[in-house]
Amino acid sequence: MQGADGPPSDTELLRRHVAGDSEAFGELFRRHRDRLWAVALRTVGDPEEASDALQDAMISAFRRAGDFRGDSAVTTWLHRIVVNACLDRLRRKAARPAVSAGDEQAFEALAAQGSDPARATDTRLDLNAALQILPPQQRAALLVVDMLGYSVADAAIILDTSQGTVKSRCARARARLLPHVAHLRGNRSASETVSPAQGGDA
Amino acid sequence: MRRQTSHLDPDVLAEFRAGLITGRRRRAIAAHLTDCARCTAADDQLAELSALLAAIPAPVMPESVAQRLDAALAAEVTRRDEAERAGARRPRDRRRAPRLARRPTLQLVMMRVLVPAAALVVLAAGGYGLSLLVPQSSSSSSVAAGSAAEPAAASAAPSAAQANGLPAPSTTARAAHPGIQKSTFGLVPSSTDFLPGTLRSQLEAALGALAATRQAPHLSGPLEACVQRLTSGVSPGTVKLAESASFQGRPAIVVVASSGSGYLAWVVTPGWVAPGCSATSAGVLARTTLPGISAP
Repeated sequence: MQGADGPPSDTELLRRHVAGDSEAFGELFRRHRDRLWAVALRTVGDPEEASDALQDAMISAFRRAGDFRGDSAVTTWLHRIVVNACLDRLRRKAARPAVSAGDEQAFEALAAQGSDPARATDTRLDLNAALQILPPQQRAALLVVDMLGYSVADAAIILDTSQGTVKSRCARARARLLPHVAHLRGNRSASETVSPAQGGDA
Repeated sequence: MRRQTSHLDPDVLAEFRAGLITGRRRRAIAAHLTDCARCTAADDQLAELSALLAAIPAPVMPESVAQRLDAALAAEVTRRDEAERAGARRPRDRRRAPRLARRPTLQLVMMRVLVPAAALVVLAAGGYGLSLLVPQSSSSSSVAAGSAAEPAAASAAPSAAQANGLPAPSTTARAAHPGIQKSTFGLVPSSTDFLPGTLRSQLEAALGALAATRQAPHLSGPLEACVQRLTSGVSPGTVKLAESASFQGRPAIVVVASSGSGYLAWVVTPGWVAPGCSATSAGVLARTTLPGISAP
């Protein structure tokens, strides 16, 4: 894929990097970094942590480029490294006792916001915030499949798990987000049909 | 076929949509959806949710982050180029060859070992010497690490001037966290605040997380030399973890090395990385062995 006309392919850039080209990796990373930034930011939920994670991932990809076997797209491989770096950071953060209650607190805070009609003004902002109530693994799955549009098969590679697990994580994440989003969108049918109960009443 | 009479839980609907429910149950749900307005509305919303998520525009990378990544990458490129030059001069020394940063032993780390607990020693904490590392960003220190790489490995007493003589970079990040540096000398930044009472469990968590990423520390510069002295007589060259974190709220460097079938860990102040550093010099805040690691 040494396109004589047009820019070199991702695979070609990675190959050049492994061969010692000092510029190739930078070109490859800059090509995808906005997307990778979005993944990192949404996965860890905090810009400072996200930039740390993305830098870790970038250096890791730089050093491990020789491990790339070409059995997935380069972007899939890059996303996998970024998601790993992010989940790694979240795990370490969770290991700190002080923040163990954070998820539930965030959940309560968002639940309170959800019932306030004034909050419906910025769906995007609130949806991004709502994503943070999800457990990291579910959030990452939803991010990769619904927000980035990866196939379940590619998502399974990125998340290093089975396709069935990707599907079930996404399903649980969507179900958990639903009450919040239904409120936020001001969907007429939603506010009365879904939010009062989570089903079950005959 | 019997109709499903109760309303469907969102979890069930989401699993249904994801194709995780099959057979009779799937048919029952599909039938229920045909004549239940409430569940159909919920089902529609699930579909809309995915569309909504897809439509959120990606956040734009802030310029400060872009610059920081560029600087880190430039430092990494320099490090690799230096390493290649060093490798060309000393073909037998492959330790610094690019993409071979992980030594063979590091690739075989198994985190399921159990070893007996041993001593936990907490030495006097000193708040001194933070200036040695704090002003440096990842970019400048990594560049320095590259240039200092060759002598540092052999140098028994790295000079503080070597570290301090660097131009002070304009750090854009971490302004609010003066105590936590970027990956100076190969340290991995960590937000963990290690505490004496939970040191072991925190270290185990960090090692477990590390095992998941299979990343080994690649120390350089004065830090590498000091860590070599720290681990000498134990098992040099088997450093598993090196993080710039906090210990009781103060900046600290955490180093874990494998030893036999177990692990030895040290917590030191950033200022400990200086001429005369040793396992007993001031600045060693804590030492411990890890009684056992059962990471995934």
